[in-house]
Amino acid sequence: MAKVLLIEDDRETAEEITAELTDRGFEVEWAADGIEGLGKARSTRPDAMIVDRLLPGMDGLTVIEALRKDQMRTPVLVLSALGAVDDRVRGLRMGGDDYLTKPFAIVELVARIEALLRRPAESRETTLRVGSLELDLIERTAKRGDRTIDLLPREFRLLEYMMQRSDQLLTRAMLLEEVWNYKFVPATNLVDVHMGRLRHKVDGPDEVPMIHNVRGAGFILRTGS
Amino acid sequence: MRQPQFIRSNTFHWALAVAAVFAVFVIVLFGFIYWQTDDYLVARSDKMIARQLDFIAALPEERRIDAIEEHLREDSRGVQYAGLFDADGRKLAGNLDRFPPELKMNDAVQSVPIVRTIPSGQERRAIRAIARRMPNGNALVIGREVDEAREISHVVGQALALGLLPAFVLCLLAGAWMSMRAQKRVEEVNQRVQRIIAGDLRERLPHRNVDEPFSRLAVIVNGMLDEMETMIHALEGVGNDIAHDLRTPLTRARLALERGRTNATSLEQLQVVADKAIANIDQSLSIITALLRLAEIENSRRSAGFGSVALQELLREVCDIYEPIAENKNIALRVEASHRLSVRGDRDLLFETVANLVDNAIKFTPEGGKVSIELLRKDKDIVVRVTDTGCGISEQEREAVLRRFYRSDKIRNTPGVGLGLNLVAAIVRLHGFRLVIHAGPGGRVDIICPTDSTPER
Repeated sequence: MAKVLLIEDDRETAEEITAELTDRGFEVEWAADGIEGLGKARSTRPDAMIVDRLLPGMDGLTVIEALRKDQMRTPVLVLSALGAVDDRVRGLRMGGDDYLTKPFAIVELVARIEALLRRPAESRETTLRVGSLELDLIERTAKRGDRTIDLLPREFRLLEYMMQRSDQLLTRAMLLEEVWNYKFVPATNLVDVHMGRLRHKVDGPDEVPMIHNVRGAGFILRTGS
Repeated sequence: MRQPQFIRSNTFHWALAVAAVFAVFVIVLFGFIYWQTDDYLVARSDKMIARQLDFIAALPEERRIDAIEEHLREDSRGVQYAGLFDADGRKLAGNLDRFPPELKMNDAVQSVPIVRTIPSGQERRAIRAIARRMPNGNALVIGREVDEAREISHVVGQALALGLLPAFVLCLLAGAWMSMRAQKRVEEVNQRVQRIIAGDLRERLPHRNVDEPFSRLAVIVNGMLDEMETMIHALEGVGNDIAHDLRTPLTRARLALERGRTNATSLEQLQVVADKAIANIDQSLSIITALLRLAEIENSRRSAGFGSVALQELLREVCDIYEPIAENKNIALRVEASHRLSVRGDRDLLFETVANLVDNAIKFTPEGGKVSIELLRKDKDIVVRVTDTGCGISEQEREAVLRRFYRSDKIRNTPGVGLGLNLVAAIVRLHGFRLVIHAGPGGRVDIICPTDSTPER
């Protein structure tokens, strides 16, 4: 069971997050300010941390900085009501691993925490395999079983990202940021259109679907059978 | 004791300093004039003395005594001196009792003290005199009192000195007057400014229609106030717009929740209600996000982070992302970018700009239409052009879009948040580029990047 330390000064928000994460099978520790949070981080050694940017006592970024100085590599998700791009950049530079602007959907938070906990290890593999799906990173070819899948470069990139994170919920915002390097939310549902095309190619008419749409949340590439 | 305000004022101090400098200058000038006048008068008198001596010396011996007597007789003011002495120094003629001991023989005109007998006794005087030894051994002396010349110089000097005092006083008075006048105007301006601070935005600074620095300053400040008043009113309007746009989805959410709470009988019904409410709340949040982003860009001064952005590559990337969306709507999307051109800018923001334009173009183009992205060189400008076969943007909206904060009604009513074009305009402004929205039919938007700020790679 993964241990998550939540440093958040608003009790109600903290309670909601704790309840949701507990439901999802996480063990959650809560600290209401920066100093308490830093102490708990040092004593309980969590697997991941959620840190509010603005905290009483000690600023969230200062907490992260202090931990990084202690050589603690725990992945950190920074929460902030400051949505400006500059703040985001600073949050990530100060040692945060991901940044989520308040208010956020709770599924978005959970998806990102899971992504942080299951960050793909640096791999020398040149072929990715998920179920019957195979992606050759050198030849840039894709196969499902014996069937060759013809992919455009942008589709290849998307599938590669999803295969590295199979069985994980990937939200639209995550895909926009990571696959297309979008720093803003486009008006059109770009992700759905691209995903629709990819799904059309990956999941043949007679095959068990692998790409699943989680309503209101995002997409999952399931290993299948 | 406190000094009066006008004495402490800077203007008055300056006036005082100017008056002092003026006084020093006048005194030096007067000294110079006095010295020059004196010099001139003495020189003139010296010349006359010398001429007189030459004249008498040139006369035959026997006529000299008569000439001297005559010369002294003609002098009604009693300033002339003359004397003829024999080789032993005895007086032969003239009004000098004896040869002045300090007077050098056969020299130029010089100042010597003499003693003169007057009815009340003896009197010492300084005169200018010249002496010459005659061929027969006699000594001839001609002299003239210069005190008279000195007096004239004195009068001139006194007159000038008397003029100095009123001039100095006048200077001080002018300084005090100017100082008080400036003080009064500052006070007047201050009162108006206080009223503006208190919230009366229509108040303006006083100014006369003269070409005077104070008035010109007032006119400039008034211009600024006009601009600010317009902007504040515009902002009020925007505030109302925003409030309206935020309230609409929130009202819907509230109604849905209220009705759901009373009427829903099953979990499914409650979930439908919750979904509706969440969707509406998300919409108001996205409006807030877009507004904050707009404010961030408009207030941004981060041109320091600008780098060289290859436009050809950027346009192809945008096209690559939007191709499937265009295909779904059966719209032909193409890029025409044969030149390798780059501009200085923020790549992410420029990408967002072009993506926004393409997004809009696809949204407003009916099925079967065309959207194209072009990269052109026009004279010295680089132009990024997005054209579509959609309805275009009306002239009224074209103007409004380029104004700050404005949101077009038509855009507002289409799905997604309609701040796209305002964002585009803000980013273009930040880069010092120009946004040109052409008249219909069909939409055509140009981003014009002047190349003087864009070094070619």
